[in-house]
Amino acid sequence: MVTELRAARREPAPRAHLAAGRGRSRRARAALAHFGLFGTPGLLVYGCFVLAPVALSFWYSLTNYNPFNPHTHFVGLDNYRTLLHDQEFLTSLRVTTVLTVILVIVPNAAGLGIALLLNRKGWFYNAWRGVFFVPMVLSSVVVSIVWTRLLADEGAVNQTLGWIGAAPVGWLSDPSLALYSVAAIMAWQMLGFCVVVYLAGLQSVPDELYEAASIDGATAFSRFRHVTWPLLAPALTINTVVLLISAFKAYDHIQVITNGGPGSGTTATVAFLTLQTGFIANHQGYASAMAVVMLLIVATASAVVLRLLQRREVDL
Amino acid sequence: MTAMTDRGGRTERERRTATRTRTGAGPSWLRPLAVTALGALFAVPLYVVLANTFKPGADIAPSPASLPTRPTLDNLRTVMDRPDHLFWVSLTNSLLVTTLSVILLTVLSSMLGHYLARTHSRWGRAATLVLLSGLMVPPQVILLPITHVLRDFHLMATVQGLVLFNVGYYVPFGVFVFAGFVRSIPVEMEEAAAIDGASPFTVFWRIVFPLLRPATASAVIFFGVWIWNDFIDPLVILGPGNGTTVTTGIYRAIGQYQADYGTVFGLMFLATLPVLVLYLALQRHFVRGLTSGATKG
Repeated sequence: MVTELRAARREPAPRAHLAAGRGRSRRARAALAHFGLFGTPGLLVYGCFVLAPVALSFWYSLTNYNPFNPHTHFVGLDNYRTLLHDQEFLTSLRVTTVLTVILVIVPNAAGLGIALLLNRKGWFYNAWRGVFFVPMVLSSVVVSIVWTRLLADEGAVNQTLGWIGAAPVGWLSDPSLALYSVAAIMAWQMLGFCVVVYLAGLQSVPDELYEAASIDGATAFSRFRHVTWPLLAPALTINTVVLLISAFKAYDHIQVITNGGPGSGTTATVAFLTLQTGFIANHQGYASAMAVVMLLIVATASAVVLRLLQRREVDL
Repeated sequence: MTAMTDRGGRTERERRTATRTRTGAGPSWLRPLAVTALGALFAVPLYVVLANTFKPGADIAPSPASLPTRPTLDNLRTVMDRPDHLFWVSLTNSLLVTTLSVILLTVLSSMLGHYLARTHSRWGRAATLVLLSGLMVPPQVILLPITHVLRDFHLMATVQGLVLFNVGYYVPFGVFVFAGFVRSIPVEMEEAAAIDGASPFTVFWRIVFPLLRPATASAVIFFGVWIWNDFIDPLVILGPGNGTTVTTGIYRAIGQYQADYGTVFGLMFLATLPVLVLYLALQRHFVRGLTSGATKG
């Protein structure tokens, strides 16, 4: 806090200078009070409930911590070495990767298509826009239960398939299919967010550019390719990063729809396995190592994606 | 969008329509048809919740997608009259947790966001960076240690504990929204008030906060929706038996009453209603908030 105060004193004060000598220490004290009143409460709660737990996760991951086996000691990187050969963990990494790839691509592409369709004025398009937004405000638990009913072996989707003479599909009971069904459900829920962001992006494209392109004789496709698409770059960045982070957090849908199954871990993501290992099996040290690996992957992936996508954003 | 007129004397809207008509490919009925077809397909699950809420329980399993030909309010009545008061307890807890979290979050993150947007110090920038990196921390990474931190503060399995966790976890998003918005409003007014002798506290609450209304509206919607729908955090922090929110309540209901889907659909409908109403009431602000963010860049 002393450094904060010193930094505040060094700053080229934008405010009008009052009396120089006496005002100096008073201004420093005022800056400190300002920081205390406005800065500390939020930072304190954030520190206690996010930063400290992240640090604790790092620490636990270097121990064999288990609340029901209280001989906690330092084990160095043993947990990480075990992870490298843990089939369950490696499977969860694969599941998370597949889910992430699907969730980054599908809602992004479908969201852009629907936003282009909906980018018109009038009550008709507004009403449908409202429909696409609704899943965003639904709880993942509600979405999961509804879709579990629809995709059950004797559910509505298979009933419909039966009417047209097709064989029923084990959407959620077939181990090779369940992950894709879960991914589709999550994509359905996240689609609305992408539509909102792309619509906002589309509405910020100046009409003059379309007009100029039309006058130059550009076709609808080349207008999209050379005007719309480059100017949607910020929207693409937001959507991709948000989808990426959400895919890594994927937990609620997995627990409610498949609970990691069918079979052994066919839909268990790293996030799911971490909590199962930590809270059900109580291997908290080992689970913390998984958590740390997950955090490192999310941080690296989002930093890389952010850097790559922001590079192609253009300034108007 | 301001109604500017171009050299031809047409308003922006007319010009836009003219341009857009030219950009359209294919016959004019194709777009509404495509929108309707896609939208209807997309809305099937929403229709299923609505239809099954008002169907007798016996009709749900054999034909989940049929219209409620024998409409009834029995499911809603059963949910509200449950002897263990699951619905009312969950609703009270969710309302309490969401309201307290959203109020605290709005106050703390708008003050912090304003402070960080206006400070010129190196430490302020560092703090902003540390806060924003919190946006990507998955809750699963911190939930294990959180239970220990909360136990040390004697807040485990309490509403206060869950509220404090929510505030800590969502403060980065609030700061992101508010700091971004503060940077887009001129600082002169605040300086003038400060010269007139107003304290930072007065300047913020009397001058800045009222100007932040669009940012506040979108922050409140996001916080409200996220916290109301949150599942894993209340499940872990409130713990088994010590209280349910609407989401953990529904999750428990499907475990206990596997066969009685009428009750589950009724519960889901009632649990979704408050957040749906909030969203519909504030939808304009929500979209506008996102739009202004996207155009200001």
